[in-house]
Formats: sequence, structure tokens, C-alpha cells
Amino acid sequence: MKVLVPVKRVVDANVKVRVKGDGSGVELANVKMAMNPFDEIAVEEAIRLKDAGKVEEIIVVSIGPAQAQETLRTALAMGADRAILVKTDETAEPLGVAKVLKGVVDAEKPGLVILGKQAIDDDANQTGQMLAALLGWAQGTFASKVEINGDKAKVTREVDGGLQTIDLKMPAIVTVDLRLNQPRYASLPNIMKAKKKPLDEKSAADFGADLKPRLKVVKTEEPGGRKAGVKVKDVAELVSSLKSAGVI
Amino acid sequence: MSAEQRVADALDAFRHSLDNSGVIDGNAPDAVRYLHDWTGDYLGAACAVLRPKSVDEVQQIVRICSKYRLAIIPQGGNTGLVSGTVGNDAQGTIVLSLERLNRIRSIDPTNFTMRADAGVVLQSMKDAAENEDMLFPLALGAQGSCQIGGNVATNAGGINVLRYGMTRDLVLGLEAVLPDGSLWQGMTGLRKDNRGYDFKQLLIGSEGSLGIITGVEVKLFPRPANVETAYLGAESFESAMRLFGMARRICSDLLTAFEVIGSECIAMAKLGNPDTRPPLEGDWPVHIIMELGCSAAIDGRVLIETLLAEAFEAGLLGDGTIAQSRAQARAFWAIREDLVEGQAKRGRHVRTDLSVRLSDVPRMIDSCRQAIASDWPGWQPLAYGHAGDGNIHFNVLPPHDMPTEEIAAATPRVLASLYDIVRDLGGSFSAEHGVGRSRRDVYWDWLTPESRQLMKAIKSAFDPQGMMNPGGLMPD
Ligand SMILES: Cc1cc2nc3c(=O)[nH]c(=O)nc-3n(C[C@H](O)[C@H](O)[C@H](O)COP(=O)(O)OP(=O)(O)OC[C@H]3O[C@@H](n4cnc5c(N)ncnc54)[C@H](O)[C@@H]3O)c2cc1C
Repeated sequence: MKVLVPVKRVVDANVKVRVKGDGSGVELANVKMAMNPFDEIAVEEAIRLKDAGKVEEIIVVSIGPAQAQETLRTALAMGADRAILVKTDETAEPLGVAKVLKGVVDAEKPGLVILGKQAIDDDANQTGQMLAALLGWAQGTFASKVEINGDKAKVTREVDGGLQTIDLKMPAIVTVDLRLNQPRYASLPNIMKAKKKPLDEKSAADFGADLKPRLKVVKTEEPGGRKAGVKVKDVAELVSSLKSAGVI
Repeated sequence: MSAEQRVADALDAFRHSLDNSGVIDGNAPDAVRYLHDWTGDYLGAACAVLRPKSVDEVQQIVRICSKYRLAIIPQGGNTGLVSGTVGNDAQGTIVLSLERLNRIRSIDPTNFTMRADAGVVLQSMKDAAENEDMLFPLALGAQGSCQIGGNVATNAGGINVLRYGMTRDLVLGLEAVLPDGSLWQGMTGLRKDNRGYDFKQLLIGSEGSLGIITGVEVKLFPRPANVETAYLGAESFESAMRLFGMARRICSDLLTAFEVIGSECIAMAKLGNPDTRPPLEGDWPVHIIMELGCSAAIDGRVLIETLLAEAFEAGLLGDGTIAQSRAQARAFWAIREDLVEGQAKRGRHVRTDLSVRLSDVPRMIDSCRQAIASDWPGWQPLAYGHAGDGNIHFNVLPPHDMPTEEIAAATPRVLASLYDIVRDLGGSFSAEHGVGRSRRDVYWDWLTPESRQLMKAIKSAFDPQGMMNPGGLMPD
């Protein structure tokens, strides 16, 4: 079985994001970029499935600018087998990306697509679900455990207030949550080997899709700063100030 | 006038000058945290802890101390490791904490400088610089607690000395209250200034023995947009040092840090944090954390990959990884920080910060290890540090069941055998932690007669009454 892992290049999770002066978006010039942390977990899971003999080939795909190559090389260094870059300078939006991914699935015919539950830049949490709908496949979102048995995938999901376990008929979509695994480091020898692994460059049109924006960003602004707290003397004062604030 | 009366009068005068929370009685429970050192090995005494909020209040305190003949121990974050802030004269000394003199005064983006009160915590300096898209490069394990004034007073080093130098190299201006209560102004912010003696350089590293630093102007740098961090495994310190030379050449001298960790230290990192997991396959005797920083137009990744490929070819490296995200880089650095925490958890032990020529680093570590193995059975050496600066923390853990008094008694002799090795190599027993009280005697022992005379002359030029931090740095 082939497994497809879409990965996104995003602002590094440890970078303090700044809003652009004109409010059109966030500052990306001179900013450290990295693989979306949820996608790292997805790549790791695919590698573990391969190590367990459940998967023959891992294909990683990224939809983004030329520099997304670096993100793909990281995935190849971790252990993916080959990569596809769908190059675009447009902002990748969930529906456009899902449509491209449908095209990639039609061309590559994977038995499983594993991807992050969301990207930490736009926090959309939509791509996996949209892809499942476009393909008409089963989906297991927010996975904290994945087991493959024949043509069934057993997925443990993190839901409000607990865990839910579901069986999916393959082929299927799995979106991964934080607790699924701890991604490995890419070792130096593997970083070197990754440079020789195949990386195909494609366009959205090659997959019969287009990425032109369907959404319009009206405004981007910093979250309002938190107001300074106040100290209260005792419980009575706490209760009365909560009351006057209309909270209780 | 009795000593008690003198102290009582002085305390009255302090209370008159400072607000309520500015004066803590030396016997009060609140005073304790100012009286013992970071390691908890030493507990000192003082008649009061004073917490001025302005330079003017510092001057008033100094004048009162001069009048009532009280000695002054300036104190920053109290993270120093050589008992520089631990006095033991409950009747004759006050601790002057700069912690409430903690305002960032201004940032000049054109001059690439920041002015700050001496009590600003180092981390706040770094954050303020970053907010302006600049870098204040001083970086050390204690940065969440130590203060810029303390860093200047100890000429602190840390992990970025390699590229940006010691604190001495980062200071462009100082302001200090002298022992007569006058204010010496030197906040010039000039990069070039050849008018006579450079007094600020005397105050830098003076460990509170000449005056009280109240304000600092430091250099800022462009914040590197690209930071690449690698965690590597090598066969020996020898290969690590060869790798360092190669790295400087191939990476266009853009390295900001080159730290080595003897693999025996990993157990300490695990003690500090049980989740410690070095990102290496196999057991490598020497771990290396290497970092480089550059602007966006330079491809740091290509530099570091080129270097590491060549180092592999040359057999200098066994295994390694390059951080693919800042989270991974932080995990590498956490190993370096956790090993310090782990040692602290082991309780009292022998600590050093030795400095030798880069070419002598492997030889020094070998000799120290041999000395411990042959003379101190059951003691466990740990070697790690800023190898790119020739600075190794060669620490020694006592046997697990050894009583504290026995450890304390053995410590000077263990140190002596290590210091002998360094002295033979023409090195220093204090790369960055300073002299303080715990190394004062060895310091004077090593000094040449000419240096001793200059020391005394400089001390008495600044502090003729001997008010400043007696017992530290200078002989009694
Ligand atoms: C976990 C840890 C890691 C460390 N790592 C490093 C390292 O990598 N490199 C390094 O160099 N050091 C290191 N240190 C040592 C220490 O943090 C530094 O020496 C630091 O610069 C001391 O600053 P402080 O504000 O805590 O000073 P304190 O400990 O309060 O004082 C140190 C000395 O300076 C004097 N002093 C303080 N403030 C003033 C002032 N305003 N005016 C005049 N004199 C003053 C004191 O009298 C004393 O003699 C480390 C310490 C810890 C605990």
C-alpha cells in the first residue's frame, strides 16, 4: 500500500508572529519557517507504518512556494520515499488544497492519506475533512492511535471529554493529533541521502485543479492585550467585584 | 558608640531615606533569600538588605554607610557561583540589592544600543532587544534571574562569547555610584573613544569591589533571521576541536556557539529531566551543540550541511542531526541546561570553569580525568562547556554516600589538583565565573608581585576606606 502525507510549510511555531503594517496578513519576510508540527507527526506515523510492514511507499506532497522543497526534504530525511511539490505563489486555502490533493490521490492511488489535523498558521482544520468529502472516503480525524488491519483502519480519536474508537474502511483519510507519536529527528546521514531522493515539481493544473483564492482577507490584527489584573483583599471583595463585572 | 547602636542608627537613617519595603532587617525571614548563594552551599549574614528604587537612593545609602562605617555588598540576581555576595559580618555589612532599579531606559536603533538600569534582568534585556528586531547576545543559563549589572560586575561569558565576546565586549557605557557617594558618569555609547584611561573597563569584572554599577549601555546586533542548530556525536575532544576549526572556515565564521558535552554528563541531564533523549544513534563519547546565525540572504542550511558532509568524510563525526525547527533546536539546548540542573540535584560537588588555549582543550580534559581517576577513587568527573572559547566546566561529583562535611573538606584538595594542571598549561582557573570569596586565595596565590601591587593601588584609588564588598576579590 502507498500512503500519501501532505505537509505544509508554516511559520516556525516558536517564532513570535507580527502583523504586517497594512493589516493584509502576517510578516513572512525574514521569518524562520518549518514543517507544520502536526504534519511532522503525520510523517512519523507513516514511517512507523512502513517499519511495521503495513506500507510499501511513503509519498509526501506539499502545496506552496519553491521553498516548500525544504519542508519536503525534511520529510524525506525523516524517512519518506519521494516527494511532490505542487508549486504556487498563491496563499494555500483548504478547499483549493483539498482539490489538488484529490488530483494527487487520483494519480497516485494511495490506500491511506495521513495529514495534520490543522496547520498552525491559519488553524483552519478543514483540509482533511474536505478531501474525504471530495473523494467520498471514510475519515478518522484527531487521531491519537492508528492501527491498520487488512482493509480496516482502527482510529482512536480525541473528542471532547474522552476518546472515541472507530473502524474505517480503507482507503481512508486520517488526520492526526498531538499525542499520536513523538516525531523522530532527521539524522545527518539521512539528511544527505534525502538530497538524492526524487522530488517532482508540478503545478495545480497538472492535477486538474486551481488554487486561486476563494477567500478574501478583510483585516488582520493583533489580539488585544490582556488587561492588568487587580488584587482583592478577601473573598467578600472578590464576590462583589465579580458581581459588579456582571460575571456572576 | 556601641556596634549595636551604630547599626540601629544606620537602620533609622535607611528607613528615613527609603520606602517601607526598601529596608529589610538582616534577621528577618525575608532577608534569607538575599543572604545565601545560588548553590545553597553558603549562608551569609548582614545587618540589613536595602532595595533602592533610584540612583539617588543608591547614593543616599552609600553616604549613610560611609557615615556609619558599614560595608556594602552589591547584589544583582544573586546567581554568581563564587560566593561574591555572601558576607558574614552581621554587624558591619549591608546587602544592596539592585532588583528594584530595573527600568529599561531607552533603545537607540541607529546606534544599535540599549540603556538600562543595572537591575534589569538579562532576559528582559534580550526580550526588549528582540521586540525591536535586534539581538542582545549575552546568553547564559541564569538569564531568567541574573541582572545586567551583575553580568557587568562579573564580566559574564556564556554560550555566545564565540561570536560576540564577553560582557566586556558588549558594554559601551557605564554609570556607577562610587564609595564616597558620588556618581561616576560614563554612559557615552561611543564605539571609539581614546581619551585616556577607560574607567568602565576597570568596573567591568570588579565584582562589587570598586563601586555600585547603576546603569549600563550595551551593544545590540541585528537579529539573525536564520539560525541553524546541530547536535553531533564525535569520537573524542580532539575531533571536536578539529571540527571547530573546520566549522569556522567553512561556515564563514558565522558560528555563535560551539558547546561540548562529555557523554558522562547525559546521566546528569536525565537527572535534571527524565525525558532527556539525545538525538544520536549509538554511544558517542563527545556530544556537540553547534549553532550559527546569519541574515536571510545567506543560506545557513547549505553552510552547515556542507560543513557536516565534509566533517563526516574526514571522520571527525560519528552521527548527528540538524534541527528542522526551533522546537528541535530548543530540545538540543535543553539537554545542555538540564545537565546543569541535574548536577544541582546531586547536591554539593566540585565545580570549575577552566580556561586554556583552544589547542590544549583535549589535553587538559585528559589530564584532569586522569588526576581524578588516580587520586580520587569513587569521584565522578564531568566535562562539558564552551569548547569554542577554550572554556571547560570540569566538575567532579563526590561518591553518593559521602557526608557533606567530608565533601567540603575534600573540595579544596580536588580543586588544587585540577588547578595545578591548568596552571601548567598556562590557563586560568576562572574563565567566566570570577573570583569572589571562594577563589580569592588561589587568585592571590597565582598573581605576580607586580599585579598584586597594581590591584591594591587601583582598589585604594576607588575605595580608600575598603567599604566595597570586603572579603571578595581582595585580601582582608
Ligand atoms: C545556572 C547558572 C548558569 C550560569 N552560567 C554562566 C555562564 O555560562 N557564564 C558566566 O559567565 N556565568 C554563568 N553563571 C554565573 C552567574 O550567573 C553570572 O556570573 C552572572 O553574571 C551574575 O549576575 P547576578 O546578577 O546574579 O550577580 P550576583 O550573583 O548578584 O553578583 C555577582 C557579583 O557581582 C557583584 N554585583 C552584582 N551587581 C552589581 C552591581 N550592580 N554593581 C556592582 N557590583 C555588582 C556582586 O557584589 C558579586 O560580587 C551561571 C550561574 C548559574 C546559576
